[in-house]
Amino acid sequence: MPTLIKDGRVVVDDWKLVETVTDGRVEPRTIVPAAYAVSNAPQLFSQTSEVGVWLPGDGEPDDIAPLLDRVPLVAIRFGAVNDGRGLSLAVLLRTRFGFKGELRAFGEVLEDVMNYMRRCGFDSYQLPDGHDPEVALRAMRSLSDFYQGSVIEPRPAFRRVARGR
Amino acid sequence: MYRYDQFDQHFVDERVAQFRDQTQRYIDGGLSHADFLHLRLRNGLYIQRLAPMLRIAVPYGTLASRQLRMLAHIARHYDKGYGHLSTRTNMQFNWPDLAEVPDILADLATVQMHAIQTSGNCIRNVTADQFAGVAADEVVDGRPYCELIRQWSTAHPEFDWLPRKFKIAVNGAARDRAAVDIHDIGLEARRTSDGIVFDVKVGGGLGRTPILGSLIRESLPDIHLLTYLEAILRVYNRYGRRDNKHKARIKILVRAVSPDIFRDQVDAEWAHSKDGPTTLTREEIDRAIAAFTPPQYPALESQPASLASARLADPEFSRWVATNVAPHKQSGYAIVTLSTKVTGVPPGDVTDVQMDAVADWADRFGFGEIRISHEQNFVLPDVPQRDLYEVWKLARAHRLASSNRGKLTDIICCPGGDYCSLANAKSIPIAEAIQRRFDDVDYLNDLGEINLNISGCMNACGHHHVGHIGILGVDKKGEEWYQISLGGNAGRDASLAEIIGPSFSRADVPDVIEQILDVYVEHRADGERFLDCYRRVGIDPFKERVYANAH
Repeated sequence: MPTLIKDGRVVVDDWKLVETVTDGRVEPRTIVPAAYAVSNAPQLFSQTSEVGVWLPGDGEPDDIAPLLDRVPLVAIRFGAVNDGRGLSLAVLLRTRFGFKGELRAFGEVLEDVMNYMRRCGFDSYQLPDGHDPEVALRAMRSLSDFYQGSVIEPRPAFRRVARGR
Repeated sequence: MYRYDQFDQHFVDERVAQFRDQTQRYIDGGLSHADFLHLRLRNGLYIQRLAPMLRIAVPYGTLASRQLRMLAHIARHYDKGYGHLSTRTNMQFNWPDLAEVPDILADLATVQMHAIQTSGNCIRNVTADQFAGVAADEVVDGRPYCELIRQWSTAHPEFDWLPRKFKIAVNGAARDRAAVDIHDIGLEARRTSDGIVFDVKVGGGLGRTPILGSLIRESLPDIHLLTYLEAILRVYNRYGRRDNKHKARIKILVRAVSPDIFRDQVDAEWAHSKDGPTTLTREEIDRAIAAFTPPQYPALESQPASLASARLADPEFSRWVATNVAPHKQSGYAIVTLSTKVTGVPPGDVTDVQMDAVADWADRFGFGEIRISHEQNFVLPDVPQRDLYEVWKLARAHRLASSNRGKLTDIICCPGGDYCSLANAKSIPIAEAIQRRFDDVDYLNDLGEINLNISGCMNACGHHHVGHIGILGVDKKGEEWYQISLGGNAGRDASLAEIIGPSFSRADVPDVIEQILDVYVEHRADGERFLDCYRRVGIDPFKERVYANAH
């Protein structure tokens, strides 16, 4: 069972992610494929309002824009540790599309990348089997400040720290 | 030069501790080989053919003497007593012990150095003109902007996991010594009545698909530099190919959609971030510029009589002055290139003793600053003209006084099959064979400016596509062969070399080069450089000569 880290703690995951929806029935707190949610929105949201959507890192935020104020959770799949597309997607969802709900990373999530993910707007991470959550929490704290602005701190260091001392 | 503030120092110190933790987890088995690979690459550590290789960043090729002494210490203490200057103006060590790498990085941090993002699919060390700040033909010193880009690109949350490596260069002089046309992003700084602006070229690069960059924005005001770079990087990060590593550089994307469409995509992206918080402040730009304030140059006589008489008395010195000394913007001073290209020594290799010596000369004959050029040489930027003879004698005693800057034997060469696990063929023995064949200084001087670049594989670390003469190692049924190309150039009027024909065996390469040079000497007009002659007469006369026996 993968471990879920949310807001800097290990928590119980009470969402269920499904690869496909087969019979048109969706239980509350299910994360369904974004494409399914887009094409079946009226029927889906009449069953339950507690629906999350997931999409791959190369997904287009425009495609799910109509859903963003209706879903409490968006999950982005990382197909490979070194595939950074999900990071840009997260930045766009947070900054350009104003998504305020839970933004979750899953798939090939490497603990040492979680600090990057956090700064791109993710707030929960599904750690793959065999990865130690304590190591992950430590890795997230290994660098405490950064030069650039980010989703969680838009001001770069030169706008908030007295540089040159 | 730029000095770390508390913020910078804190960052590199934390980064060292982070890598120490990652290395320990790998050694303990908590981090898999595949996962550790991504992390070590972003800290400069490759696992090469013989041993790990550690690539240390020398941002925009500028080093303080105490930093070079630290590199000498690392060479002596952790390695086999030498290091290698790379074409990205970095320093590479070929024999570190994996478990000791965190200690090396900790030592580096004490002199404000690091190995962050010197490899991996991320934004690499930003390079500049090796004569930045001192060149007589300079318009803008690009290094303050390189430093701002360095800070912005370090551990960028969004752009550390790109489709492929990403290289940025800044030039600000009449001549282009930074080779901006062959970079993922090449920035040309200019001075206007409204302040400093940049012309932005994107999508240049060598490798399997050599392409010169396309100009996508003119006159970008300096305060917008980072937001504009961010827009380019976001388009690339999202849409660059990831299915084939040979097609993953930004040049492939730019060519696929066309530079015009790419520019539109960048502009659409930029519209959202322009004038946002990442916009540089005048104060921050001024802080960076102030870090590169020229030293207080004591007034010195220009072209002192002692220099002229030393040149008259010593023709070897005179030859060196003609080739390896460049004009300085300050009267009475000169820029000295200390060539690492000595026959029998791999181009770019320098010993700990040489490093210590160069550091001492930088203190004695300058302001404690050294440069590394992408041609893999050391540069002393601020030598008083009256001391040139003394510097030359010292350099000669340390085998750093080859009078060959820009000449045939100033070969750019990758480590090749002797060290690199990617290489198809060795490159260092080719360089040595050519240096041995053409060792007559008068002949070399007569040939004039010729850039000969050698790469051991298609990755083109030796920049063979932009050599006036390029040599590429290829694998033919398990044997090492060499393809020769002509007419490349990395400077202001950049061009890509044209392949002359079928490849040659290693033993034949020096003969083929000699034939090529013969054709040049026969066809050249008075004072015509090799490159200009080639451009005028074309490839055919060269082709006919070197393949004459094959017909």
